[in-house]
Amino acid sequence: MAKAFRASAGIMLAPAVTLIGVFVLLPMLLTVWLSFQDWSTQTPFSEASFVGLGNFHEIFGPTSVGRDFKTALLNTAIYTALSVVLILPLSVVFGLLVYQREVAGGTALRTVLFSTYMVPMIAVALVWSKLYSPSEGPLNQLLGLVGIGPQPWLSSPRSALVSIVLLNVWQQVGYFTVLAIAGLTQIPGSLYEAATLDGANGSEQFRFITLPLLRRTLLFSAVIAIINAVQVFEPVALITQGGPVGSTNVLTYHIRRVGIERAQGGLGSAMAVMLMLSLIVCVSALFAFVNRKDSE
Amino acid sequence: MSLAWISKLTLAAGLIALPATGWAQSVNISYLTHWSPETVALLEAAAKDFSRQHPDVAVTVRAVPFGDLLTTLRSQGGSSDGPTIGGIYDLWLPELAKDKLVAPAPDAVASEVKSAWPAGVVSAASVGGTLYGIPNEIDVYALNYNKELFKAAGIAAPPKTWAEFKDAAAKLTDKDKGQQGFGMINSWAAGVVHPFASLLVSNGGNLVKDGKPALDSPQAGETFALYEDLIKSGASIPAMATADANTTGPFLDNFVSGKTGMIIMANWWESALKAGMGDKFANIATAPIPVGPSGDKPHSISYSWMTVVNAKAGEAEQKAAWQFLAWLNSPKSGKNGASAMSDILMSMGILPSRSSDIEAHKDKLGSEFLSGYVSVLGDARPFPVVLGGQEFSESLQQTLEALQYGQVSAKDAQANAQADATSILGRATK
Repeated sequence: MAKAFRASAGIMLAPAVTLIGVFVLLPMLLTVWLSFQDWSTQTPFSEASFVGLGNFHEIFGPTSVGRDFKTALLNTAIYTALSVVLILPLSVVFGLLVYQREVAGGTALRTVLFSTYMVPMIAVALVWSKLYSPSEGPLNQLLGLVGIGPQPWLSSPRSALVSIVLLNVWQQVGYFTVLAIAGLTQIPGSLYEAATLDGANGSEQFRFITLPLLRRTLLFSAVIAIINAVQVFEPVALITQGGPVGSTNVLTYHIRRVGIERAQGGLGSAMAVMLMLSLIVCVSALFAFVNRKDSE
Repeated sequence: MSLAWISKLTLAAGLIALPATGWAQSVNISYLTHWSPETVALLEAAAKDFSRQHPDVAVTVRAVPFGDLLTTLRSQGGSSDGPTIGGIYDLWLPELAKDKLVAPAPDAVASEVKSAWPAGVVSAASVGGTLYGIPNEIDVYALNYNKELFKAAGIAAPPKTWAEFKDAAAKLTDKDKGQQGFGMINSWAAGVVHPFASLLVSNGGNLVKDGKPALDSPQAGETFALYEDLIKSGASIPAMATADANTTGPFLDNFVSGKTGMIIMANWWESALKAGMGDKFANIATAPIPVGPSGDKPHSISYSWMTVVNAKAGEAEQKAAWQFLAWLNSPKSGKNGASAMSDILMSMGILPSRSSDIEAHKDKLGSEFLSGYVSVLGDARPFPVVLGGQEFSESLQQTLEALQYGQVSAKDAQANAQADATSILGRATK
């Protein structure tokens, strides 16, 4: 009986497992294998030659290859951290505002917030590159009205990455607000009624009811926000090309430059493996942190 | 005749005509470029002319931004379904040839090119003596300056030496007006490196000499120091220098709006200047690159573009592609003895490289803007076309941008640039 059950489970799982194996696991294993090879992306895999840890040594070394990779890794980490730190609290704040049943036009506000997420990145990039223009940009003109001098935005290595983060936050916050609203709808209204009867004010209700019960939603949001941020590519490719001075050169853009433009497949794969490992470590640490809080 | 009969006869006629149509357009070839929609329309019109004379060949044109051109060639050029023809920058050729992505030119095409183009241009389209592409354009750098701003600053003539150049840059700088004397470029490798290289060769130096990086020379040191001086004095403002993926952006906006007094740029940006300035384009003039303290006379950097054929395309497609390119670049395809390709290039202010095209466009090449470029062509030094050249160029870009933004001193920038170039070119030739 158990044997028959296992056989039928195996047959039913086989199509999905095969697809995942072929389209997800195999490319990942291939990338890991290539990271130990010297290989040009324009040649067959058979021409790859084993170099051991040579590619990893190179990308963490003192030459321009290593310097550019480390800068790209750091830029990606800063971009991800800033994006998550800004998007999550904003999504909760907007979620609370929009979720208030008494507020008129809540649905319209929800639609407006979500609409930024539906705008294609090419349109966002075109508009924001003009908004950020140091000489004729509307943002600097607005700042001028309140007595603040023109800011360099994308034209300075100090502010370019932050400017790209702001663009990302503007585009993504609506999506995460919808997730926050979905989380808020799961919290029973009776808890707030009981808390009100016990004399808890709004701030206490938020701290002791809303936030703890939103934890699972926020964990999901954080994981998605991290993955989205780590994969940032379009605004960099469309607006800054990684500059100035490599200040917006994020890993996905850099891997594309090394692996495709320069055809250095081995080095590009080693960088992709490091990106994958960093992502696994970050997401695992986040889950471990939340699970520990849960058990406390 | 009833409607049913008309329909049947139409269907029958269609079925009879189908094989003929299939035969008439039996070879489809595609042309990948980075040109603007207006220029693509001119190329499409030329392709239609060709198809009228060669009904068995259909040519489609596809354009991508300049920043994506090499990536597209790399990612799609390795397949028979990728673009059959690609317009490429000569710096990319050695690696594309090494990776066997581009096909050698057939003998007939090669001998035509060798007899009709200047030897230097033919050499830039060749690797190891084998010709891989039909050259079409040549670009050279010169000093562009705004005559109105010069007049307002009391400067009578364009600077001839670096001392005059620094002096003019200082006089043209007006912080209150948000005006800079000399505009550098950042976030675009060629835009950063070529003006620097033009100043370097005008100071008697070289980027690469005998296949080895030569950025540790005293002449290179003086060129890095010139950049540092211009930045430190406030005559050049890095925040006004950014370029985007389409090689436009604030650096262009600032020049066309009269906020930059001088810039070192290539002839091809004539069309961008005209589009951005309208009638005010008449304020822009061209002059040779100022000569440095260790230089003998003005030199400049030149580079060329060519069209190559996908080595992985089918035999019929490759044959049709060479046939189309030979026609497009021949004196028979354009107006008044010029090639159709040169007519397209001249619409953008780009200098054609075929000797007969230069003769055919003599009048337009004598315009105030372009004649300044034609006059410096003779003493121009070709940008070094070496294996690893693109990576070398991108690495030097990073170093120069770090210098622009005050992250490194001129001395450190020179040391970093030489060390990086040695490592990159050494690895590429392994």
